Amino acid sequence: MSEMTETAIVGTGAIIERLLKGEFICRTTDEEAWRSLKNSATKERVETYLNQINRTIGSAGEGEVFFCGYLQLGDEERKVVSSQFRDICNALIPLVEWLVLVQESSGQDAPLSEGAAVRLTELQTRIEDTPAFREQLAKISHYRLFGSTSSNVDNQIKLVFKRLVELGYLTRPNTEKQIFIATGKLDYLYEVIRFIDETEGLSLEAQAETATQRDLV
Amino acid sequence: MSTNLHQAGVKLLKQLGRHADLVMDVYLSGSVPEGGENAAAIEKLRKSEILWRPEPDQELRLKRSVRAVLEEALSDERNRQIDSNVGSSLASIKTLAGHYKEARQNVDYSASEAYLADLNEHVYSFAEGLRYSIRVLWSRINNEFGYVGTINAKIRENELAQSQVTELLNGLEMFQFSELGEIAGDIRELRKLLVTSLQETLSDCTQELSVVQGRLLELLGRFRQIRGRTRLLKGWLLYTDLHPDYTPVDHVSHKQLPTLFNRAEAILAPAAVDVHNTGYEPELLDIVSRIKAIARTNHDPHLRDHDVSVSLSQAEDFDIPDNPLKLAVDEYFCSVIDSGRSQSALEYLDEQELPWERESWLYQVICGYEGLPEEHRHYFELEPIGEPDPVYTGNFIIRDVELWLA
Repeated sequence: MSEMTETAIVGTGAIIERLLKGEFICRTTDEEAWRSLKNSATKERVETYLNQINRTIGSAGEGEVFFCGYLQLGDEERKVVSSQFRDICNALIPLVEWLVLVQESSGQDAPLSEGAAVRLTELQTRIEDTPAFREQLAKISHYRLFGSTSSNVDNQIKLVFKRLVELGYLTRPNTEKQIFIATGKLDYLYEVIRFIDETEGLSLEAQAETATQRDLV
Repeated sequence: MSTNLHQAGVKLLKQLGRHADLVMDVYLSGSVPEGGENAAAIEKLRKSEILWRPEPDQELRLKRSVRAVLEEALSDERNRQIDSNVGSSLASIKTLAGHYKEARQNVDYSASEAYLADLNEHVYSFAEGLRYSIRVLWSRINNEFGYVGTINAKIRENELAQSQVTELLNGLEMFQFSELGEIAGDIRELRKLLVTSLQETLSDCTQELSVVQGRLLELLGRFRQIRGRTRLLKGWLLYTDLHPDYTPVDHVSHKQLPTLFNRAEAILAPAAVDVHNTGYEPELLDIVSRIKAIARTNHDPHLRDHDVSVSLSQAEDFDIPDNPLKLAVDEYFCSVIDSGRSQSALEYLDEQELPWERESWLYQVICGYEGLPEEHRHYFELEPIGEPDPVYTGNFIIRDVELWLA
């Protein structure tokens, strides 16, 4: 302990707190913490601490995002993990629909990934101008995950974004501006889908490819 | 002979300049129909072979080389071609080298000079062409093929670039350095050109092209990954649409839990006192009893005799009463004007026996001076009175300020 400087102790303390709060640490949400965890010495210190309370550092996407997992899985732990898994499975459809909506309405090459910025007012205008997008937004915002009861685009979209920040998929660096940045948790989400796709042999990409080709014909 | 060439060249360039607008129109639109207002100019350009007709029934187009000059000069990436035909340049170089050697043998100096000049030109333009192609490739890489719209288009462009690089590399391999050495023989000029300079160019370019190839592959990987994500999401939506009863398999019930799903619940979370828990009643009552209302105002609450209604009405105009300190500063300024002579601020302060603190007074005087409108400030000058700091050079300690009439 005596080798660690004061700032190092404060730093690792902050990292441990975030992990124990169930947060995902990525370069966008907390660059300093993320860099520290990329350093093997710091990572080991945090890991040692977490091990004492049956926790361990988990990561996804080749160390692009870190979160907290269990070291040993007893019955209680398995119950928690099951419930987390169910939560994320239930969230998949609303989240994917939202990601596709954002991609289509902004005419981007790719869906949001860590670090990508979304300007809410611009997006809102584009959605408001297209009936198909308005319908999509209404459908998405009424999912239980977001829980909107409004029929007004402004309310719907603001609620969706607020919930996404709460859930950790977006971050809002400046509360005075309507600019949201995608976090590493979105990349985690892609990995989850890919895992399901590969393990269950769903061939999702191939299906999408044939579908677009059918549209072109 | 060269003066004729010079003249002809100047004439051509002047023509290009005279019809610059027309040339740029054709550059941007691709082709131009004959006839119309510019018929005469178009005909002239066609005669000089700046415009040409690719096929009998097609419109006139800009000559390839002129287009290339414009593309490069204007840094226009869109249409740049990469000439990967290395073999023909090699053949020309070999041929010219042969001519030159023969001319030398026949002691025909003028001819051999001409051939050498030609050979130089060929070697340099070959090298230039190669470097140009590499530059184009790099700019496409750096732009990440941004000049096309969709990700599929980018992937196609990338694959095209890769095939061009492969062709170039294959062509460069054809240059047998031993062969060049043989052609050059003992002739110093040829050795310098073919063996030294050409060889250097070729190995530099080969190296750079390998780097380019690597980057293209990297970019391709990334494009595919990006395209993959879009497809993944769309595929998911399609699948769940087609199979409305689908739920993902329970991947967490295996003995070996995939790390991806190993997420612990939060043990640090916002906390609050549970006021519904009867077990805490004595403690909670104790806390409540200690709550005091702390009023920091000196006045007792004023009880009105009767209710006064609150109504929203237009706010009346109001004036902020002037700060007495500010008023005193104004008077100081006025007294200086009236007396016509300068006076230090602290002197005035003492004279008038004003109640303000000396430092506040000084600051307010300085503020007052700086706050004057431009026209009024002209009439005054504020001089600081003080001495340089005994210890810290460069610092000047101001003890007092004096107001002068300018």
